[in-house]
Amino acid sequence: MERAASSDHIGPLADSVTDFVRRRADVARARRLHAGGAECDRDFWRALADMGWLGIAVPERFGGMGLGLREATIVAEGLARALVPEPFTATAVLAVSLIEGGDSEPLKQELLPRIAAGSLVPAVAWQERAGELDPAAIDAVAVPFEGGFRLSGAKRFIAAAAAADGFVVSARCADDLALFWVSADAAGARLTTHRLADGRASGTLVLSDAMVTREGMVASPVVARAALARALDRATVVAGAELVGVMARTLELSLDYMRTRVQFGKPIGAFQALQHRAVDLYLQQELATAVLAEGVRDLETIADDRARAALASRVKARASEAALRVTREAIQIHGAIGFTEDCDVGLYTKRAIVLSAWLGNATAHRRRYARIAARPEAHHD
Amino acid sequence: MTDYNALSDAEFRADVRAFFEKNYPAHLRFLPRRMRWSECRDWYRVLSSKGWIAPHWPVEHGGMGLAPSKLIIYFEESERAGVGRMPDQGLTMVGPTLIRFGDAAQQRRFLPAIISGENIWCQGYSEPNAGSDLASLQTSAVLDGDEFVINGSKIWTSMAHDATHIYVLVRTDRQAKKQEGISFLLVDMKTPGITVRPIRNIAGHEEFCQVFFDNVRTPRANLVGNLNAGWTIAKGLLGFERLSIGSPRRPFQALEQIEILARARGLWEEPAFVERLTQLKLDLADLESLYSRYVDKVRRGEVLGPDVSMLKIWAMETYQRLSELLIEAAGEYGAFDGEVALGDETVVDVLSPFYTSRPGTIYGGSNEIQRNILAKYVLKLPT
Repeated sequence: MERAASSDHIGPLADSVTDFVRRRADVARARRLHAGGAECDRDFWRALADMGWLGIAVPERFGGMGLGLREATIVAEGLARALVPEPFTATAVLAVSLIEGGDSEPLKQELLPRIAAGSLVPAVAWQERAGELDPAAIDAVAVPFEGGFRLSGAKRFIAAAAAADGFVVSARCADDLALFWVSADAAGARLTTHRLADGRASGTLVLSDAMVTREGMVASPVVARAALARALDRATVVAGAELVGVMARTLELSLDYMRTRVQFGKPIGAFQALQHRAVDLYLQQELATAVLAEGVRDLETIADDRARAALASRVKARASEAALRVTREAIQIHGAIGFTEDCDVGLYTKRAIVLSAWLGNATAHRRRYARIAARPEAHHD
Repeated sequence: MTDYNALSDAEFRADVRAFFEKNYPAHLRFLPRRMRWSECRDWYRVLSSKGWIAPHWPVEHGGMGLAPSKLIIYFEESERAGVGRMPDQGLTMVGPTLIRFGDAAQQRRFLPAIISGENIWCQGYSEPNAGSDLASLQTSAVLDGDEFVINGSKIWTSMAHDATHIYVLVRTDRQAKKQEGISFLLVDMKTPGITVRPIRNIAGHEEFCQVFFDNVRTPRANLVGNLNAGWTIAKGLLGFERLSIGSPRRPFQALEQIEILARARGLWEEPAFVERLTQLKLDLADLESLYSRYVDKVRRGEVLGPDVSMLKIWAMETYQRLSELLIEAAGEYGAFDGEVALGDETVVDVLSPFYTSRPGTIYGGSNEIQRNILAKYVLKLPT
């Protein structure tokens, strides 16, 4: 992503996200979609495209806004506050960053404008094993033949899979990694999905000699590894922003409830046991917000890959743990009503569960951070 | 007179760093306790004669007059050099209070003596029956002619045995609402009727004391601000104090001790240890992110709101968790008093951070009080 020259547009962007969400995406909509297991309504998707957000990270020459991580996090956080199920981060951040970071100019020209316009939904199939954050730790292979490659392997935990028109797939290629564009209807590609806690779907893509032409290589071994690492770090930070949106809204709901629910003749928010609980949740939210702000500020400018990964892991570890804690305790603060399907808190809890697990949960990111930060030179001053 | 604010940040930082490195005594770097006056008197005077003893005071009162951005640099470099905490109540509390609320005569009389180190101040706030509920304090001051007569006692008075003067909150109106009957008085410790009894803490140090007042007479001219306005004055003194208490410096020192110990004991291969350590490292790294948010605010000249209380909560609780891991990671050595030799070169004082971190959640408004403040003023929860 290119860095924006000025930050004057940040306030208006945040306002337009808030306004859009109020008009188009209340929680009642999320609740309907949750019940139906739908996560990408094409009309709504086009509305996101009309706002420019699907192309927020797409360079201007490919029909996008050419903005940076900061703008993407504002959109993601705003959408997450309203529990919008559409897979903004998985497509507009992860897939776009990956295609843009690849070295196929024709594919960029073909895919990026359509993604920005909302007419093509891409998904990224990079991971194969739970808890494994190293994009190189895969078994899928791309075997070259005259005219292209045959891909075989099983890719898992694919977000946006159910709605995807095609997949950016990583595979071992010439003793290294490469990325390929595999159309959803390609022969030899079979997608199955598993329902997630928040009603969305996690995809498994099994490839059996799926054929990809030479032109379908999104990133050659020269750039694939670096492009994957960067795109995943960006998406990890933006997922952190979604988690911050989820926890912030959940805490607001809980504080409102504490001010209005009366027991023993006074609002339950007057009880110190609950007050201190709420303060601890607020503290976790502010820690997550502070780390996210640092991630947004520094991620694009850190030259060292390891330091960049450490920062992304800090954001995701804190945001995941904090969001899970805030939503879990919000159920407790609400009492029995918090455990009912009618109460929005349950929807937020389930979204927090899904976002926490995606792209590595807190434990996985702490482990990655430990591996990186264990080296003395990575110590902060 | 140097206008430090006219220097670039980099120039100023280089000057401060060089000065601290050259002049601060090596044996006092990164002490795990507050310094006694006898240890740090010379350093105080070095700073004083350089004109650097009061970085945050205005130039006309003998300070450096640093802008917030320069002040942050000064404190960062002080922490970096491991400069210990001196008996600094005159510099951090009395000076700023007199500059803001004192009259010209009080400023002339007391400020130069703080700058020179001639007067060392201590704080008389808490009482045996007024801790977290400070406003219920009972030490009384009754006007008799041109003097107040003080009776009662103050406790947890840090470094009272080193102090020449004490500033006290006293009750001057028993009829008024409890916050509205309190005044702020300055008292010379040599005044007849004052007794100081040092209190030994669980670490074995005598850092705090109880101070008894038995018909102690102090001039009416030592009343700061208006009669019965003491509570407002005391509350006006929060700011840098709250920022410095939330600094990641001390928890970071505990982390360094854990890492030294882990190397000596070969703990890096133990997954349970590494996981717990990593969690705490992230708690500390995230504290640094939160801290820098407030540092930026101060740098921009913004007033810190009540939300800064969360820094203190997280800094001190993280510090305590680290100090507990240090003991746990030491195994049987975790019970050894003082410095423990581990391996060839490694010496770790396993219990020191544990002791040092304990009072951090109690003084300056306990963490429970900080949570009350956040609940009321930030989360706007009902009372």
